[in-house]
Amino acid sequence: MKPNPYEAIPAVLLETIDETPLIRTLRMKPDRPMPFRTGQFVELSLPGIGEGPFTPSSSHFVTDTLDVTVMKAGFLTEHIHKAKPGDRVGLRGPYGSSYPLTEFEGQDLLILGGGCGLAPLRSLFLTLLDEIEKYKSVTFFAGAKTPRDCPYKDAFPAWRKHPKVRLVRAVDSVPPGEAWDEEVGVVTVLLGKLDIVPKNSLAVVCGPPVMMKFGTRDLLRLGFREERIYLSMEKKMYCGLGQCRHCVMGEFYVCKHGPVFTYAQIKNEEGIWD
Amino acid sequence: MLIHADDLLAFLRRCLNEPIGPYREIYIPVRQDDGDSSATTLAPLREDSRPVLDGHRAVDPAKLLFYGVRERIAPFDREPPPALLAGIKACDVKALEILDRALINKDFVDPAYQSWREKTTVFSFDCTDTAPTCHCTLAGGKPYADTGFDANAARFGDRYFLSAGTEKGRALLDVIRKHVRVDAAHDRVPAAVEARRAEMTARVVSQSAAFERSEDYDRLRASPVERWKEESRDCVGCGACTHICPTCYCLILNDESRGADFVKVRSYDSCQLHGYARVASGASPRPRMDERFRHRYLCKLVFMKSEFGSLGCTGCGRCAEACPGGIDFRSAVRHLMEAAPGVRAADGIG
Repeated sequence: MKPNPYEAIPAVLLETIDETPLIRTLRMKPDRPMPFRTGQFVELSLPGIGEGPFTPSSSHFVTDTLDVTVMKAGFLTEHIHKAKPGDRVGLRGPYGSSYPLTEFEGQDLLILGGGCGLAPLRSLFLTLLDEIEKYKSVTFFAGAKTPRDCPYKDAFPAWRKHPKVRLVRAVDSVPPGEAWDEEVGVVTVLLGKLDIVPKNSLAVVCGPPVMMKFGTRDLLRLGFREERIYLSMEKKMYCGLGQCRHCVMGEFYVCKHGPVFTYAQIKNEEGIWD
Repeated sequence: MLIHADDLLAFLRRCLNEPIGPYREIYIPVRQDDGDSSATTLAPLREDSRPVLDGHRAVDPAKLLFYGVRERIAPFDREPPPALLAGIKACDVKALEILDRALINKDFVDPAYQSWREKTTVFSFDCTDTAPTCHCTLAGGKPYADTGFDANAARFGDRYFLSAGTEKGRALLDVIRKHVRVDAAHDRVPAAVEARRAEMTARVVSQSAAFERSEDYDRLRASPVERWKEESRDCVGCGACTHICPTCYCLILNDESRGADFVKVRSYDSCQLHGYARVASGASPRPRMDERFRHRYLCKLVFMKSEFGSLGCTGCGRCAEACPGGIDFRSAVRHLMEAAPGVRAADGIG
């Protein structure tokens, strides 16, 4: 008989890192290894509370632990934020499609993301850094609402030092009393500073729906090809198994055929940005 | 083989009482009240049950027995008793074929469904009557099963013609042959059965005539939003249609872990409910009722067809029966198809 697809792998919460007032990273150690490919997601459950889909934010070359970065947005995520090191959690997965790294080799890459959408992009970025010699360049445009809302603050200075990496951040606005010496504006304004050739490059986009929508529109206008724009879609991937049907988007299951899609794949489906 | 109708019912009771055969539980359509209603529900056979093997489909679908409204799915360690499900009709048999593809496939096996399914012998019966909302012929079906059953009983006169479709069905027929006087010489469908089947099919076709429609369901996508709004006007979004549908299997998982065990409980969910596809940020791909209504129709007639190779509707008509808003799936589909650009009402029929 096949293993029960609903059984979780127990894991222990090792540490929590506060990224912003609403975003926290959890580092977990599963009882048995849970290898994943960057871009795939896992179902994280708190015993007795609930379960939800999260894309790991750590490199897929790190196999003994796994990070997820979670924004407080509802019942489950509030409880996740209350979890303490030493707590037991459950993991299922990994599920879905991953970023096609072999297609990225030798290419100029643009990573465009905002808010909590930076979580899967951090995984991608760290995975790319682990084999950076394979890629031509990585441009990382990261957005947040305000300076306080920027996740991974401590990591950015080190990432930026890498010769093949160009990392630019923008915040929508700077409230009085907050310091900021980088760009101001929605993240898509950074596309005006692009110094790679769009028609030969690949783009990966993840963020709030409105950012994905306008980000994709702007990338197309710049000349990125629709089959080379990779979108990490967010729908309600409740079971992760293509069974519960909550994440159905036309004839695709986001959990099974995605969450990583090319724009060309899904451009004709309804409600992709909602 | 042929068996007398009274002998078959007596055999089912003996299975539990003596017991003969491997079946520790028998599920069967039973009449619930003393009135003259033809309505039956699926229930375990008991001494005081009033079983109805003929007639039309029961009020509730067979999925209830294999795919619980609410059941613990992980860890799953139940051992269902060997059971016989007798008296379900072709629309439910067809629905089980769809659920089999959805719930037992190369990517995924639902452990609970698989256990119930393996332990249960499906013994279907030809329809000898129609419920007012029956319309299997519009959904490409017939009021008797060709495939999908373990064993089938086709009524003619005061007898049944029994046939087996699987090993489990042959095992059932062997038990019957061993304990009941049968006429085993008949191994072909009697002409009288063929005639009754043709007559029943004609009855369903006739009561569905007002709802005939094109089978080019892809065109539903193009039906204008005003039409969807009109058809869904009386929909209160309760989800009765999806819960009673024999092919709907959308689920939610609840975590009911205590201590060190991870316990998951699966319950039915409904795409008609507002929170169904809403994500934590509050975004929902179908915030309006007419959009969720449309999603259900597309799922039944387009999405499931492309995924499982047959419509997600078997024409049982239970959704129309269950709807508190009085929405009739048959007329809604006809109206929506008529409103789709370039489609004539009876395109592709006859």
